[in-house]
Amino acid sequence: MKKTDVLIIGGGPAGLAAAVELKKKGIDDILILEREKSLGGILRQCIHDGFGLTRFKETLSGPEYAQRFIDQVEELNIPYITDTTVIDVTDSKMVYAASSKGLLEIQAKAVVLAMGCRERTRGAISIPGERPAGVYTAGVAQSYINLYNKMPGKEVVILGSGDIGMIMARRMTLEGAHVNAVFEVQPYPSGLPRNIEQCLNDYNIPLFLSHTVTEIKGKERLEAVVVSQVDEHFNPIPGSEKEYPCDTLILSVGLIPENELSLEAGVELDARTKGAIVDEHYQTTIEGIFAAGNVLQVHDLVDFVSLEGEKLADSVADYILSGKSSESSGGNGGSGGIGGRQSAVKPLTKCTAEIITDSNITHTIPQRISGKEDFKISLRVRRPMKEVTIQFLQEDKVIKSVKMKKALPAEMIQIPIKSELLEEGKDLEVKVVC
Amino acid sequence: MNSYDVIIIGGGVIGCAVAREISRYRLSAAVLEKELDVACGNSSRNTGMLHAGFTYKPSSLKAECAVEGNKEFDLVAKELNVPFRRTGKVVVGFTDHDMENILKYKAIGEQNGVEGLEIINKEQLNQLDSSAGGEFAMYAPSSGILDPMQYTIALAENACQNGVDFHFGQLVTGIERQGDLYEIKTSKGSFTTKWVINCAGMYASEVSEMLGYPNYPVKGFKGEYFVLDKRAGQHLNIPVYPAPNDKGGFATHATITIDGNVLVGPDSYVVEDREDYSVTKDHMDGLIADGQKMFKHMKREYFIRNFAGIRWKRYNPETGEILDFLLESDESHPNTVNLVGIESPGITCALPLARRAVKLLADAENPSLNPDFNPNRKGIEKFSEMTHEEQKNAIEEDADYGEIICRCETVTKAEILAAINNPLGVHTITGIKNRTRATMGRCQGGYCETRITELIERELGIPMEDVRYNKEASYLFTGKVRG
Amino acid sequence: MLREYTCIMCPKGCDMTAELDDKGTLLSVSGHTCKKGEEYVIQELTDPRRNIATSVLIEGGEIPLVSVRLTSAIPKDRIFDAMEVIKKVKVKAPVEVGQVIIQNILELDSDVVITKKVGIV
Repeated sequence: MKKTDVLIIGGGPAGLAAAVELKKKGIDDILILEREKSLGGILRQCIHDGFGLTRFKETLSGPEYAQRFIDQVEELNIPYITDTTVIDVTDSKMVYAASSKGLLEIQAKAVVLAMGCRERTRGAISIPGERPAGVYTAGVAQSYINLYNKMPGKEVVILGSGDIGMIMARRMTLEGAHVNAVFEVQPYPSGLPRNIEQCLNDYNIPLFLSHTVTEIKGKERLEAVVVSQVDEHFNPIPGSEKEYPCDTLILSVGLIPENELSLEAGVELDARTKGAIVDEHYQTTIEGIFAAGNVLQVHDLVDFVSLEGEKLADSVADYILSGKSSESSGGNGGSGGIGGRQSAVKPLTKCTAEIITDSNITHTIPQRISGKEDFKISLRVRRPMKEVTIQFLQEDKVIKSVKMKKALPAEMIQIPIKSELLEEGKDLEVKVVC
Repeated sequence: MNSYDVIIIGGGVIGCAVAREISRYRLSAAVLEKELDVACGNSSRNTGMLHAGFTYKPSSLKAECAVEGNKEFDLVAKELNVPFRRTGKVVVGFTDHDMENILKYKAIGEQNGVEGLEIINKEQLNQLDSSAGGEFAMYAPSSGILDPMQYTIALAENACQNGVDFHFGQLVTGIERQGDLYEIKTSKGSFTTKWVINCAGMYASEVSEMLGYPNYPVKGFKGEYFVLDKRAGQHLNIPVYPAPNDKGGFATHATITIDGNVLVGPDSYVVEDREDYSVTKDHMDGLIADGQKMFKHMKREYFIRNFAGIRWKRYNPETGEILDFLLESDESHPNTVNLVGIESPGITCALPLARRAVKLLADAENPSLNPDFNPNRKGIEKFSEMTHEEQKNAIEEDADYGEIICRCETVTKAEILAAINNPLGVHTITGIKNRTRATMGRCQGGYCETRITELIERELGIPMEDVRYNKEASYLFTGKVRG
Repeated sequence: MLREYTCIMCPKGCDMTAELDDKGTLLSVSGHTCKKGEEYVIQELTDPRRNIATSVLIEGGEIPLVSVRLTSAIPKDRIFDAMEVIKKVKVKAPVEVGQVIIQNILELDSDVVITKKVGIV
């Protein structure tokens, strides 16, 4: 059995950023486990540009953005193993991972969950109709086209206005496919405005809001989809059906944090984010297990994923280092066995205050705070709003408010909160007033 | 090469069971299947229930075969190395009328020889499963769950190992009597055979007519299903059925599958199109409403897939009465065995029916036994079912066991390669899926489908344009992006 | 005359309004939150440009394709011309990020560069 201070599950943007920052903070005993052949995660297939404006002040493609972090991992000699899939994590931070070289068993002091997210599928949204070939999620189509050199189809309809769906509309158009239209069931787009402009409008691809696919046709390969307009309860409006002959349906209908391993470890999830419930240290409900990036909450921009990974690293470093210093001063030499390992860390400040939101907000990260430390809150709004004020209250007293020109569900809003504004141990209420 | 002693038309569970039973004899035999794999029709589109046999008319073929098939299944599952669990089943009721029907079928069950049927109260029901709805129930301890696809595949592979050929993509278009033989024309060519066994499932009436028997009227009762995530499965121990209606039919039920998912369905409505497996919004909405009565965790966040199956029942067009399974062979149609109207409980009845069908042939032919017949078949060793220690050893023996291809179901490269090189020579994506469970999890192939297609191409040396999802025209790619 | 724009210069995607006279000359821009927005409107009015990202074949690499992009945006109406040129290119592994594979594509003052490091198999 191997031992390590910090084990990072996933070598994508969150895991890489966390690793680099941990190393810079003086943690040497790190191990990144990555299931792919190379590091980089989903960015390997996101070949479009637009990444890095916040983190690097320049615009990069996904692979370039990833390479910046991979280069640092290499320069800093941070250990990583690729082609290795974690299959089990326990609440005592034992990690099991499979590779063709064998089954790894690693006892970690801290585990960083950085597994990213998966796509919502046809089954999850129950699209009626037959079950032919030719129905792909946007990420799968992206992977086929950008990584595997395989063209999934030529005559395309896209359901869902998520960013990946719009980016695939442009990508497939560039490769000679005909993209008929993008349909979105909500009355507003779910992706960023710039992608509507540069991926759809630029290529004359129409976007229909309040529309959805109500039937899939084709017994073998997809032959057509029927699209209907929906009312305010998302019920198809009879008589509005229109049939689009096509061989490919791309689904861009949402992302879900990939938390199967977290659940096995016993980490408590938030029903809203489908990610872990965390405190201001990005620590989950299990001490020593942390989460950042899309496994925690679906982000709009990778830059924020990296920043979250870096922020997490600060707390993890604290957890490990303060334990180390107390261990050496206390002269606790014999740290054999799991119990011994556990004693070599120092629990972080307890976070007992809850963050409570109003109905305009879908969720926040973190969900729990101490009130003793500065932190950054991330949240999303439920519907597009203009001229809004985001208010923070403790015991009905407004402690901070932030004005915004517009707030879109597609955007993750991040606001730093200073500890001096906060009263310790008291719940924090967040409201959107417009 | 295309000449056999026996040709079985149809590679569903019945055809494959017949093939396996035929292979006990020294006869050359083949299965003709119109699809690219076995179990593509309704054999795979059902609940996967090993029925106890308490709703079928006493002394009917359905009742006889169900009870017989139920009793022997522990041995069958062992021989064929297929997953099976004798979970028992509860038939729950809410009203006095439900109780009447439950008691009626308890009596029928006892008459049919079903053992251990017991009426239980709410408290006992809750002890069996706290997620089950209902005020009282009948508990049937002999019911069980299995994977109908794996079972059909196992029957076919066992038959194949014992010498039966499988020909896929062979739609039977006509049958002619030529001297002492039959010539069977298919979409791809022709076959000659001494005996024909009709196991064509939903098309059995058409084949029946080709053989000179009547074109028996059948009516299609379609049922839709929801498949729920394994996380929902943690809340269900036992299949929960509602009390049967006055005709003995069951409405929507919730069943734990052998893999730990939950199936909610089927409902029932009459359709004309033989292969209309589409799912519809109205019925999905209905399943959600009805499913919640049987299973308290019928929630959208657990939905991973929908599917539909159609029970093609033989019926009397004048009275509308649903008729028993038909198994016949007579001298005016020499060397034929005709099986028509085989629907639920077809999975449970497959081997008993196959034995009866083969006996008709054996009585006439007196074939010698196949001395090499081996009733045992080995399935693909599943990494996900091993302990960490076993996993370690498996990887040491075969490094491909260390490469996880499908992360939701923890399926390794070793398993995928074994499935690609399956004895039947099937290489569709759904073929790999049904043999390994890859792509069946909550991400529905988002992570592994790209890898599986790559492995199919590499392992079989075929171009990407030839990779098929499930059917002849279900291509996945139109070509390369570059080059 | 008023014309609406959505800025693509950053993920914020500001909604902007340009006021034009009868000849289409820009009079004013509103709604932007930084200077880039105004520049974008002027560019869109005179010479709209876009960058493209796509892939080229790579021989002897760990993967069949390597991703590429342009070093600077090209006129929007030349995108498909540029795609035709890029499609014909093949490269040999190994390649590094930033490696130029087509210089000054179609004489549009933009190079095609590799965006992914690919080693030899």
